[in-house]
Amino acid sequence: MPPEDAAVRNGLLAALPPEELERLRPRLRAVELPFDQTLFPADGVVEAVLFPEGGMVSLLATLEGGDQVEVGIVGREGLIGLPLVFGDNRSLVEARVQMEGTALRIGAAALRDAMEASAALRLVLNRYALAFQALVTMTAACNARHALEQRLARWLLIAHDRAGADEFAMTHEFISMMLGVRRPGVSLAAGVLQKAGLIRYVRGRMAVTDRPGLEAAACECYHVARREFARLLGTGAAPPG
Amino acid sequence: MQALPATPCARSRPIATPHQHQPSTIRNGLLAALPPQDLARLRLGLRPAELPFDQILFSAEGVVEAVLFVESGMVSLIATLDDGKQVEVGIVGREGLVGLPLAFGDDRSLVEARVQQEGTALRMNAADLRDGMGESAALRSQLNRYALAFQAQVTTTAACNAFHPVAERLARWLLIAHDRADGDRFPMTHDFLSMMLSVSRPAVSIAAATLQNAELIHYGRGRIEVTNRPGLEAASCGCYHVARREFARLLGNGGGAPRPR
Repeated sequence: MPPEDAAVRNGLLAALPPEELERLRPRLRAVELPFDQTLFPADGVVEAVLFPEGGMVSLLATLEGGDQVEVGIVGREGLIGLPLVFGDNRSLVEARVQMEGTALRIGAAALRDAMEASAALRLVLNRYALAFQALVTMTAACNARHALEQRLARWLLIAHDRAGADEFAMTHEFISMMLGVRRPGVSLAAGVLQKAGLIRYVRGRMAVTDRPGLEAAACECYHVARREFARLLGTGAAPPG
Repeated sequence: MQALPATPCARSRPIATPHQHQPSTIRNGLLAALPPQDLARLRLGLRPAELPFDQILFSAEGVVEAVLFVESGMVSLIATLDDGKQVEVGIVGREGLVGLPLAFGDDRSLVEARVQQEGTALRMNAADLRDGMGESAALRSQLNRYALAFQAQVTTTAACNAFHPVAERLARWLLIAHDRADGDRFPMTHDFLSMMLSVSRPAVSIAAATLQNAELIHYGRGRIEVTNRPGLEAASCGCYHVARREFARLLGNGGGAPRPR
Protein backbone atom coordinates (compact mmCIF):
# COMPACT_ATOMS: atom_id res chain seq x y z
CA MET A 1 0.00 0.00 0.00
CA PRO A 2 1.33 3.43 -0.86
CA PRO A 3 2.14 5.74 2.03
CA GLU A 4 -0.77 7.92 3.14
CA ASP A 5 0.71 11.11 1.80
CA ALA A 6 2.04 9.79 -1.49
CA ALA A 7 0.48 11.60 -4.41
CA VAL A 8 -1.52 9.31 -6.65
CA ARG A 9 -0.43 9.67 -10.27
CA ASN A 10 -3.21 7.61 -11.82
CA GLY A 11 -5.78 9.97 -13.32
CA LEU A 12 -8.87 7.98 -12.34
CA LEU A 13 -7.84 7.64 -8.70
CA ALA A 14 -6.66 11.24 -8.53
CA ALA A 15 -10.12 12.35 -9.68
CA LEU A 16 -11.83 10.77 -6.66
CA PRO A 17 -12.86 12.95 -3.72
CA PRO A 18 -10.01 12.82 -1.15
CA GLU A 19 -12.02 10.94 1.49
CA GLU A 20 -13.05 8.26 -1.01
CA LEU A 21 -9.47 7.84 -2.13
CA GLU A 22 -8.36 7.46 1.49
CA ARG A 23 -10.94 4.71 2.00
CA LEU A 24 -9.67 2.94 -1.08
CA ARG A 25 -5.97 3.24 -0.30
CA PRO A 26 -5.67 0.30 2.12
CA ARG A 27 -6.94 -1.95 -0.69
CA LEU A 28 -4.38 -0.72 -3.22
CA ARG A 29 -1.05 -2.43 -3.57
CA ALA A 30 1.86 -1.03 -5.59
CA VAL A 31 3.10 -3.41 -8.31
CA GLU A 32 5.69 -3.30 -11.07
CA LEU A 33 4.83 -3.39 -14.75
CA PRO A 34 7.97 -4.95 -16.27
CA PHE A 35 8.58 -4.49 -19.98
CA ASP A 36 6.87 -7.07 -22.19
CA GLN A 37 5.08 -8.82 -19.32
CA THR A 38 1.68 -10.31 -20.16
CA LEU A 39 -0.69 -9.14 -17.43
CA PHE A 40 -3.43 -11.43 -18.63
CA PRO A 41 -3.60 -13.51 -21.81
CA ALA A 42 -6.36 -13.40 -24.43
CA ASP A 43 -9.43 -15.22 -23.10
CA GLY A 44 -7.68 -15.30 -19.75
CA VAL A 45 -8.98 -14.70 -16.25
CA VAL A 46 -8.76 -11.17 -14.86
CA GLU A 47 -8.04 -11.30 -11.14
CA ALA A 48 -7.45 -7.66 -10.39
CA VAL A 49 -7.71 -4.18 -11.75
CA LEU A 50 -4.48 -2.27 -12.30
CA PHE A 51 -4.40 1.52 -12.20
CA PRO A 52 -1.13 2.43 -13.97
CA GLU A 53 0.96 5.12 -12.34
CA GLY A 54 3.36 5.25 -15.24
CA GLY A 55 4.29 3.24 -18.32
CA MET A 56 2.00 1.94 -21.01
CA VAL A 57 0.05 -1.25 -21.55
CA SER A 58 -1.22 -2.55 -24.91
CA LEU A 59 -4.45 -4.43 -25.32
CA LEU A 60 -4.03 -6.90 -28.14
CA ALA A 61 -6.54 -8.90 -30.11
CA THR A 62 -5.35 -12.27 -31.36
CA LEU A 63 -6.60 -13.44 -34.72
CA GLU A 64 -7.10 -17.04 -35.81
CA GLY A 65 -3.71 -17.35 -37.47
CA GLY A 66 -2.03 -16.14 -34.26
CA ASP A 67 -1.41 -12.64 -35.62
CA GLN A 68 -1.88 -9.97 -32.99
CA VAL A 69 -3.02 -6.42 -33.41
CA GLU A 70 -3.30 -3.67 -30.87
CA VAL A 71 -6.81 -2.36 -30.26
CA GLY A 72 -6.27 -0.13 -27.24
CA ILE A 73 -3.65 1.50 -25.07
CA VAL A 74 -3.71 2.26 -21.37
CA GLY A 75 -1.48 4.62 -19.47
CA ARG A 76 -1.93 6.46 -16.22
CA GLU A 77 -5.14 8.03 -17.49
CA GLY A 78 -6.89 4.66 -17.17
CA LEU A 79 -7.05 1.14 -15.87
CA ILE A 80 -6.49 -2.40 -17.01
CA GLY A 81 -9.15 -5.00 -16.29
CA LEU A 82 -12.40 -3.33 -17.40
CA PRO A 83 -14.29 -6.65 -17.43
CA LEU A 84 -14.12 -6.71 -13.62
CA VAL A 85 -15.79 -3.31 -13.50
CA PHE A 86 -18.68 -4.85 -15.44
CA GLY A 87 -19.03 -7.97 -13.35
CA ASP A 88 -17.10 -10.28 -15.66
CA ASN A 89 -13.73 -11.87 -15.03
CA ARG A 90 -12.58 -12.81 -18.50
CA SER A 91 -10.83 -10.73 -21.11
CA LEU A 92 -11.07 -11.18 -24.86
CA VAL A 93 -7.81 -9.32 -25.31
CA GLU A 94 -4.29 -9.80 -24.01
CA ALA A 95 -2.81 -7.05 -21.86
CA ARG A 96 0.93 -6.65 -22.34
CA VAL A 97 3.29 -4.05 -20.94
CA GLN A 98 4.83 -1.97 -23.65
CA MET A 99 6.62 0.64 -21.61
CA GLU A 100 7.66 -0.39 -18.15
CA GLY A 101 6.09 1.38 -15.21
CA THR A 102 4.19 0.83 -12.00
CA ALA A 103 0.56 0.42 -11.07
CA LEU A 104 -1.76 0.27 -8.10
CA ARG A 105 -3.54 -3.06 -7.93
CA ILE A 106 -6.90 -3.90 -6.38
CA GLY A 107 -8.34 -7.43 -6.23
CA ALA A 108 -11.73 -8.32 -7.69
CA ALA A 109 -13.59 -8.67 -4.39
CA ALA A 110 -12.16 -5.45 -2.98
CA LEU A 111 -13.08 -3.61 -6.17
CA ARG A 112 -16.64 -4.89 -5.98
CA ASP A 113 -16.99 -3.71 -2.38
CA ALA A 114 -15.46 -0.35 -3.19
CA MET A 115 -17.77 0.19 -6.14
CA GLU A 116 -20.76 -0.67 -4.00
CA ALA A 117 -19.67 1.86 -1.39
CA SER A 118 -18.62 4.73 -3.65
CA ALA A 119 -20.83 6.44 -6.20
CA ALA A 120 -17.85 8.60 -7.21
CA LEU A 121 -15.80 5.52 -8.03
CA ARG A 122 -18.64 3.99 -10.06
CA LEU A 123 -19.02 7.23 -11.98
CA VAL A 124 -15.35 7.60 -12.86
CA LEU A 125 -15.08 3.94 -13.89
CA ASN A 126 -18.19 4.21 -16.08
CA ARG A 127 -16.84 7.30 -17.75
CA TYR A 128 -13.49 5.66 -18.35
CA ALA A 129 -15.27 2.70 -19.93
CA LEU A 130 -16.96 5.07 -22.37
CA ALA A 131 -13.71 6.87 -23.14
CA PHE A 132 -11.93 3.59 -23.73
CA GLN A 133 -14.78 2.52 -25.99
CA ALA A 134 -14.15 5.73 -27.97
CA LEU A 135 -10.49 4.81 -28.34
CA VAL A 136 -11.31 1.33 -29.67
CA THR A 137 -14.00 2.78 -31.94
CA MET A 138 -11.54 5.22 -33.49
CA THR A 139 -8.99 2.45 -33.87
CA ALA A 140 -11.54 0.40 -35.80
CA ALA A 141 -12.34 3.32 -38.11
CA CYS A 142 -8.68 4.28 -38.45
CA ASN A 143 -7.57 0.77 -39.34
CA ALA A 144 -10.15 0.68 -42.11
CA ARG A 145 -9.36 4.01 -43.70
CA HIS A 146 -6.02 5.55 -43.02
CA ALA A 147 -2.61 5.20 -44.59
CA LEU A 148 0.08 3.43 -42.67
CA GLU A 149 2.20 6.58 -42.07
CA GLN A 150 -0.82 8.35 -40.61
CA ARG A 151 -1.57 5.43 -38.33
CA LEU A 152 2.08 5.18 -37.26
CA ALA A 153 2.15 8.91 -36.51
CA ARG A 154 -1.06 8.57 -34.47
CA TRP A 155 0.34 5.69 -32.57
CA LEU A 156 3.62 7.49 -31.84
CA LEU A 157 1.70 10.46 -30.45
CA ILE A 158 -0.17 8.19 -28.06
CA ALA A 159 3.10 6.58 -26.99
CA HIS A 160 4.82 9.95 -26.68
CA ASP A 161 2.00 11.20 -24.42
CA ARG A 162 2.67 8.35 -22.04
CA ALA A 163 6.46 8.16 -22.24
CA GLY A 164 7.19 11.26 -20.20
CA ALA A 165 10.22 11.86 -22.44
CA ASP A 166 10.94 12.50 -26.11
CA GLU A 167 12.91 9.31 -26.45
CA PHE A 168 11.65 5.84 -25.63
CA ALA A 169 12.34 2.19 -26.40
CA MET A 170 10.29 0.76 -29.23
CA THR A 171 11.02 -2.47 -31.08
CA HIS A 172 10.17 -3.06 -34.72
CA GLU A 173 8.21 -6.11 -33.70
CA PHE A 174 6.00 -4.10 -31.39
CA ILE A 175 5.24 -1.46 -33.96
CA SER A 176 4.46 -4.16 -36.47
CA MET A 177 1.95 -5.73 -34.11
CA MET A 178 0.51 -2.39 -33.15
CA LEU A 179 -0.36 -1.54 -36.67
CA GLY A 180 -1.12 -5.03 -37.89
CA VAL A 181 1.40 -4.94 -40.72
CA ARG A 182 4.55 -6.84 -41.58
CA ARG A 183 7.92 -5.46 -40.58
CA PRO A 184 8.94 -4.17 -44.03
CA GLY A 185 5.77 -2.04 -44.03
CA VAL A 186 6.83 -0.59 -40.68
CA SER A 187 10.31 0.29 -41.98
CA LEU A 188 8.79 2.03 -44.95
CA ALA A 189 6.36 4.09 -42.89
CA ALA A 190 8.98 4.95 -40.27
CA GLY A 191 11.32 5.96 -43.12
CA VAL A 192 8.74 8.43 -44.40
CA LEU A 193 8.35 10.09 -40.97
CA GLN A 194 12.10 10.11 -40.41
CA LYS A 195 12.86 11.74 -43.78
CA ALA A 196 10.35 14.43 -42.93
CA GLY A 197 12.39 15.11 -39.77
CA LEU A 198 9.56 14.20 -37.40
CA ILE A 199 11.21 11.27 -35.66
CA ARG A 200 14.56 9.55 -35.31
CA TYR A 201 14.41 5.81 -35.06
CA VAL A 202 17.66 3.95 -34.44
CA ARG A 203 18.33 0.58 -32.86
CA GLY A 204 15.07 0.17 -31.05
CA ARG A 205 14.97 3.75 -29.73
CA MET A 206 12.36 6.18 -30.94
CA ALA A 207 12.92 9.92 -30.58
CA VAL A 208 10.15 12.38 -31.36
CA THR A 209 12.00 15.36 -32.84
CA ASP A 210 9.10 17.44 -34.16
CA ARG A 211 5.90 17.00 -32.18
CA PRO A 212 3.76 19.55 -34.06
CA GLY A 213 4.90 18.04 -37.34
CA LEU A 214 3.98 14.58 -36.07
CA GLU A 215 0.53 15.85 -35.09
CA ALA A 216 0.06 17.23 -38.58
CA ALA A 217 1.14 13.93 -40.10
CA ALA A 218 -1.29 11.87 -37.98
CA CYS A 219 -4.89 11.25 -38.91
CA GLU A 220 -7.49 13.05 -36.85
CA CYS A 221 -8.38 9.86 -34.97
CA TYR A 222 -5.79 10.88 -32.41
CA HIS A 223 -7.57 14.14 -31.67
CA VAL A 224 -11.06 12.64 -31.71
CA ALA A 225 -10.23 10.09 -29.04
CA ARG A 226 -8.30 12.67 -27.02
CA ARG A 227 -11.29 15.01 -27.10
CA GLU A 228 -13.56 12.26 -25.81
CA PHE A 229 -11.18 11.54 -22.95
CA ALA A 230 -11.07 15.22 -22.07
CA ARG A 231 -14.85 15.54 -22.19
CA LEU A 232 -15.49 12.46 -20.10
CA LEU A 233 -12.59 12.57 -17.69
CA GLY A 234 -11.16 16.03 -17.97
CA THR A 235 -7.60 14.74 -18.29
CA GLY A 236 -7.06 14.49 -21.98
CA ALA A 237 -6.07 11.15 -23.39
CA ALA A 238 -2.76 11.40 -21.68
CA PRO A 239 -1.06 12.66 -18.61
CA PRO A 240 -0.64 16.42 -18.90
CA GLY A 241 2.73 17.61 -20.11
CA MET B 1 -14.66 -13.98 0.13
CA GLN B 2 -17.21 -11.58 1.40
CA ALA B 3 -20.95 -12.17 1.36
CA LEU B 4 -23.10 -9.63 -0.37
CA PRO B 5 -25.39 -7.71 1.95
CA ALA B 6 -28.70 -9.49 2.40
CA THR B 7 -31.71 -7.82 0.91
CA PRO B 8 -34.46 -7.50 3.51
CA CYS B 9 -37.30 -8.37 1.15
CA ALA B 10 -35.49 -11.30 -0.38
CA ARG B 11 -36.82 -14.09 -2.54
CA SER B 12 -40.47 -14.20 -1.44
CA ARG B 13 -42.05 -13.73 -4.79
CA PRO B 14 -45.72 -14.44 -5.29
CA ILE B 15 -46.34 -17.66 -7.08
CA ALA B 16 -48.68 -18.00 -10.02
CA THR B 17 -50.07 -14.51 -9.98
CA PRO B 18 -52.83 -13.62 -12.42
CA HIS B 19 -50.43 -11.04 -13.92
CA GLN B 20 -48.91 -13.70 -16.07
CA HIS B 21 -50.82 -12.59 -19.13
CA GLN B 22 -48.23 -10.55 -20.97
CA PRO B 23 -49.68 -7.91 -23.27
CA SER B 24 -47.19 -8.88 -25.92
CA THR B 25 -44.12 -11.00 -26.19
CA ILE B 26 -40.82 -9.26 -25.75
CA ARG B 27 -38.41 -10.05 -28.55
CA ASN B 28 -35.46 -8.01 -27.32
CA GLY B 29 -32.87 -10.36 -25.87
CA LEU B 30 -31.75 -8.13 -22.99
CA LEU B 31 -35.28 -7.53 -21.73
CA ALA B 32 -36.45 -11.09 -22.32
CA ALA B 33 -33.68 -12.36 -20.04
CA LEU B 34 -34.88 -10.31 -17.07
CA PRO B 35 -36.84 -11.90 -14.22
CA PRO B 36 -40.59 -11.45 -14.95
CA GLN B 37 -41.21 -9.14 -11.98
CA ASP B 38 -38.35 -6.82 -13.00
CA LEU B 39 -39.64 -6.75 -16.55
CA ALA B 40 -43.19 -6.05 -15.39
CA ARG B 41 -41.99 -2.96 -13.52
CA LEU B 42 -39.81 -1.75 -16.40
CA ARG B 43 -42.62 -2.15 -18.91
CA LEU B 44 -44.24 0.99 -17.53
CA GLY B 45 -41.37 3.01 -18.96
CA LEU B 46 -41.20 1.26 -22.32
CA ARG B 47 -42.86 2.73 -25.40
CA PRO B 48 -42.97 1.05 -28.81
CA ALA B 49 -41.06 2.93 -31.48
CA GLU B 50 -40.60 2.48 -35.19
CA LEU B 51 -37.16 2.16 -36.75
CA PRO B 52 -37.70 3.39 -40.32
CA PHE B 53 -35.07 2.52 -42.89
CA ASP B 54 -32.12 4.94 -43.01
CA GLN B 55 -33.35 7.06 -40.09
CA ILE B 56 -30.64 8.62 -37.95
CA LEU B 57 -31.53 7.83 -34.33
CA PHE B 58 -28.84 10.13 -33.00
CA SER B 59 -26.05 11.87 -34.83
CA ALA B 60 -22.32 11.70 -34.18
CA GLU B 61 -21.50 13.71 -31.05
CA GLY B 62 -25.24 14.16 -30.62
CA VAL B 63 -27.36 13.98 -27.51
CA VAL B 64 -28.80 10.61 -26.56
CA GLU B 65 -32.24 11.09 -25.03
CA ALA B 66 -33.38 7.52 -24.73
CA VAL B 67 -32.23 3.97 -25.10
CA LEU B 68 -33.85 1.78 -27.72
CA PHE B 69 -34.15 -1.93 -27.00
CA VAL B 70 -34.30 -3.27 -30.54
CA GLU B 71 -37.15 -5.73 -31.21
CA SER B 72 -36.48 -6.22 -34.90
CA GLY B 73 -34.35 -4.75 -37.65
CA MET B 74 -30.78 -3.60 -37.42
CA VAL B 75 -29.01 -0.39 -36.49
CA SER B 76 -25.49 0.60 -37.53
CA LEU B 77 -23.15 2.55 -35.30
CA ILE B 78 -20.97 4.68 -37.50
CA ALA B 79 -17.85 6.70 -36.82
CA THR B 80 -17.39 9.87 -38.87
CA LEU B 81 -13.91 11.01 -39.77
CA ASP B 82 -12.78 14.57 -40.43
CA ASP B 83 -13.11 14.24 -44.18
CA GLY B 84 -16.76 13.31 -43.67
CA LYS B 85 -16.12 9.68 -44.53
CA GLN B 86 -18.09 7.24 -42.43
CA VAL B 87 -17.09 3.82 -41.20
CA GLU B 88 -19.30 1.34 -39.44
CA VAL B 89 -17.86 0.15 -36.14
CA GLY B 90 -20.76 -1.78 -34.61
CA ILE B 91 -24.15 -3.30 -35.27
CA VAL B 92 -27.14 -3.67 -32.99
CA GLY B 93 -30.10 -5.98 -33.49
CA ARG B 94 -32.58 -7.43 -31.08
CA GLU B 95 -29.77 -8.90 -28.97
CA GLY B 96 -28.94 -5.41 -27.77
CA LEU B 97 -29.73 -1.76 -27.34
CA VAL B 98 -28.87 1.54 -28.92
CA GLY B 99 -27.78 4.32 -26.56
CA LEU B 100 -25.15 2.71 -24.36
CA PRO B 101 -23.80 6.06 -23.09
CA LEU B 102 -27.01 6.56 -21.11
CA ALA B 103 -26.48 3.29 -19.29
CA PHE B 104 -23.13 4.67 -18.14
CA GLY B 105 -24.16 8.10 -17.00
CA ASP B 106 -23.36 10.03 -20.17
CA ASP B 107 -25.76 11.56 -22.66
CA ARG B 108 -23.54 12.03 -25.70
CA SER B 109 -22.54 9.60 -28.38
CA LEU B 110 -19.33 9.67 -30.38
CA VAL B 111 -20.95 7.62 -33.11
CA GLU B 112 -24.00 8.04 -35.27
CA ALA B 113 -26.79 5.47 -34.98
CA ARG B 114 -28.57 4.79 -38.26
CA VAL B 115 -31.24 2.24 -39.11
CA GLN B 116 -30.01 -0.20 -41.66
CA GLN B 117 -32.86 -2.69 -41.68
CA GLU B 118 -36.23 -1.30 -40.69
CA GLY B 119 -37.83 -2.65 -37.56
CA THR B 120 -39.23 -1.74 -34.19
CA ALA B 121 -37.85 -1.04 -30.75
CA LEU B 122 -38.92 -0.41 -27.19
CA ARG B 123 -37.88 3.05 -26.10
CA MET B 124 -37.05 4.09 -22.57
CA ASN B 125 -36.12 7.65 -21.68
CA ALA B 126 -33.09 8.59 -19.62
CA ALA B 127 -34.93 9.15 -16.32
CA ASP B 128 -36.85 5.86 -16.52
CA LEU B 129 -33.65 4.04 -17.38
CA ARG B 130 -31.88 5.55 -14.39
CA ASP B 131 -34.73 4.55 -12.09
CA GLY B 132 -34.93 1.11 -13.66
CA MET B 133 -31.21 0.54 -13.18
CA GLY B 134 -31.50 1.75 -9.61
CA GLU B 135 -34.21 -0.79 -8.84
CA SER B 136 -33.16 -3.80 -10.85
CA ALA B 137 -29.81 -5.49 -10.26
CA ALA B 138 -30.70 -7.85 -13.11
CA LEU B 139 -31.05 -4.94 -15.52
CA ARG B 140 -27.73 -3.46 -14.38
CA SER B 141 -26.06 -6.79 -14.91
CA GLN B 142 -27.60 -7.24 -18.37
CA LEU B 143 -26.49 -3.77 -19.44
CA ASN B 144 -22.98 -4.31 -18.09
CA ARG B 145 -22.68 -7.61 -19.89
CA TYR B 146 -24.04 -6.16 -23.09
CA ALA B 147 -21.50 -3.32 -22.88
CA LEU B 148 -18.71 -5.90 -22.69
CA ALA B 149 -20.13 -7.91 -25.58
CA PHE B 150 -20.50 -4.79 -27.68
CA GLN B 151 -16.95 -3.81 -26.77
CA ALA B 152 -15.87 -7.23 -28.05
CA GLN B 153 -17.63 -6.56 -31.33
CA VAL B 154 -15.89 -3.21 -31.83
CA THR B 155 -12.56 -4.70 -30.76
CA THR B 156 -12.91 -7.46 -33.29
CA THR B 157 -13.87 -4.95 -35.96
CA ALA B 158 -10.71 -2.95 -35.23
CA ALA B 159 -8.53 -6.03 -35.60
CA CYS B 160 -10.42 -7.25 -38.64
CA ASN B 161 -10.14 -3.92 -40.43
CA ALA B 162 -6.37 -3.96 -39.95
CA PHE B 163 -5.82 -7.44 -41.29
CA HIS B 164 -8.43 -9.04 -43.44
CA PRO B 165 -9.18 -8.85 -47.17
CA VAL B 166 -12.40 -7.16 -48.26
CA ALA B 167 -14.16 -10.35 -49.36
CA GLU B 168 -13.65 -11.95 -45.93
CA ARG B 169 -14.83 -8.79 -44.20
CA LEU B 170 -17.87 -8.64 -46.46
CA ALA B 171 -18.72 -12.25 -45.64
CA ARG B 172 -18.40 -11.50 -41.92
CA TRP B 173 -20.59 -8.49 -42.24
CA LEU B 174 -23.26 -10.37 -44.20
CA LEU B 175 -23.36 -13.05 -41.51
CA ILE B 176 -23.98 -10.42 -38.86
CA ALA B 177 -26.74 -8.88 -40.97
CA HIS B 178 -28.24 -12.30 -41.75
CA ASP B 179 -28.40 -13.10 -38.03
CA ARG B 180 -30.54 -10.04 -37.51
CA ALA B 181 -32.70 -10.19 -40.62
CA ASP B 182 -36.10 -11.89 -40.65
CA GLY B 183 -35.26 -14.28 -43.42
CA ASP B 184 -32.57 -15.02 -45.97
CA ARG B 185 -33.30 -11.97 -48.11
CA PHE B 186 -32.76 -8.41 -46.94
CA PRO B 187 -32.29 -4.98 -48.49
CA MET B 188 -28.72 -3.81 -48.89
CA THR B 189 -27.43 -0.96 -50.99
CA HIS B 190 -23.99 -0.61 -52.50
CA ASP B 191 -23.55 2.66 -50.67
CA PHE B 192 -24.18 1.03 -47.36
CA LEU B 193 -21.78 -1.79 -48.03
CA SER B 194 -19.16 0.67 -49.15
CA MET B 195 -19.54 2.62 -45.88
CA MET B 196 -19.64 -0.51 -43.80
CA LEU B 197 -16.40 -1.85 -45.16
CA SER B 198 -14.89 1.55 -45.83
CA VAL B 199 -13.88 0.71 -49.35
CA SER B 200 -14.85 2.17 -52.71
CA ARG B 201 -17.97 0.97 -54.54
CA PRO B 202 -15.95 -0.83 -57.21
CA ALA B 203 -14.12 -2.73 -54.46
CA VAL B 204 -17.51 -3.71 -52.99
CA SER B 205 -18.63 -4.95 -56.41
CA ILE B 206 -15.55 -7.11 -56.76
CA ALA B 207 -15.89 -8.60 -53.28
CA ALA B 208 -19.63 -9.22 -53.76
CA ALA B 209 -18.96 -10.84 -57.14
CA THR B 210 -16.43 -13.16 -55.51
CA LEU B 211 -19.05 -14.36 -53.04
CA GLN B 212 -21.72 -14.55 -55.71
CA ASN B 213 -19.56 -16.56 -58.11
CA ALA B 214 -18.96 -19.02 -55.28
CA GLU B 215 -22.79 -19.22 -55.01
CA LEU B 216 -22.84 -18.10 -51.40
CA ILE B 217 -25.06 -15.09 -51.99
CA HIS B 218 -27.27 -13.63 -54.62
CA TYR B 219 -27.03 -9.87 -54.91
CA GLY B 220 -29.14 -7.73 -57.17
CA ARG B 221 -31.21 -4.56 -57.20
CA GLY B 222 -30.45 -3.53 -53.65
CA ARG B 223 -31.25 -6.90 -52.11
CA ILE B 224 -29.00 -9.61 -50.80
CA GLU B 225 -29.99 -13.21 -50.45
CA VAL B 226 -27.87 -15.62 -48.47
CA THR B 227 -28.04 -18.84 -50.44
CA ASN B 228 -25.34 -20.87 -48.72
CA ARG B 229 -24.92 -20.01 -45.06
CA PRO B 230 -22.28 -22.64 -44.18
CA GLY B 231 -20.29 -21.58 -47.23
CA LEU B 232 -20.52 -17.95 -46.18
CA GLU B 233 -19.28 -18.87 -42.72
CA ALA B 234 -16.32 -20.62 -44.28
CA ALA B 235 -15.57 -17.61 -46.47
CA SER B 236 -15.60 -15.20 -43.52
CA CYS B 237 -12.59 -14.45 -41.37
CA GLY B 238 -12.70 -15.87 -37.86
CA CYS B 239 -13.68 -12.50 -36.41
CA TYR B 240 -17.36 -13.36 -36.84
CA HIS B 241 -17.06 -16.36 -34.59
CA VAL B 242 -14.89 -14.61 -32.01
CA ALA B 243 -17.47 -11.90 -31.40
CA ARG B 244 -20.35 -14.36 -31.52
CA ARG B 245 -18.66 -16.51 -28.89
CA GLU B 246 -18.28 -13.51 -26.60
CA PHE B 247 -21.95 -12.64 -27.00
CA ALA B 248 -22.91 -16.22 -26.21
CA ARG B 249 -20.68 -16.34 -23.16
CA LEU B 250 -21.84 -13.01 -21.78
CA LEU B 251 -25.50 -13.04 -22.78
CA GLY B 252 -26.24 -16.62 -23.70
CA ASN B 253 -27.89 -15.74 -27.00
CA GLY B 254 -25.28 -16.47 -29.58
CA GLY B 255 -24.43 -12.98 -30.63
CA GLY B 256 -27.60 -12.10 -32.37
CA ALA B 257 -31.19 -12.84 -32.71
CA PRO B 258 -31.60 -16.58 -32.90
CA ARG B 259 -31.33 -17.62 -36.52
CA PRO B 260 -34.71 -17.69 -38.15
CA ARG B 261 -36.01 -21.21 -38.72
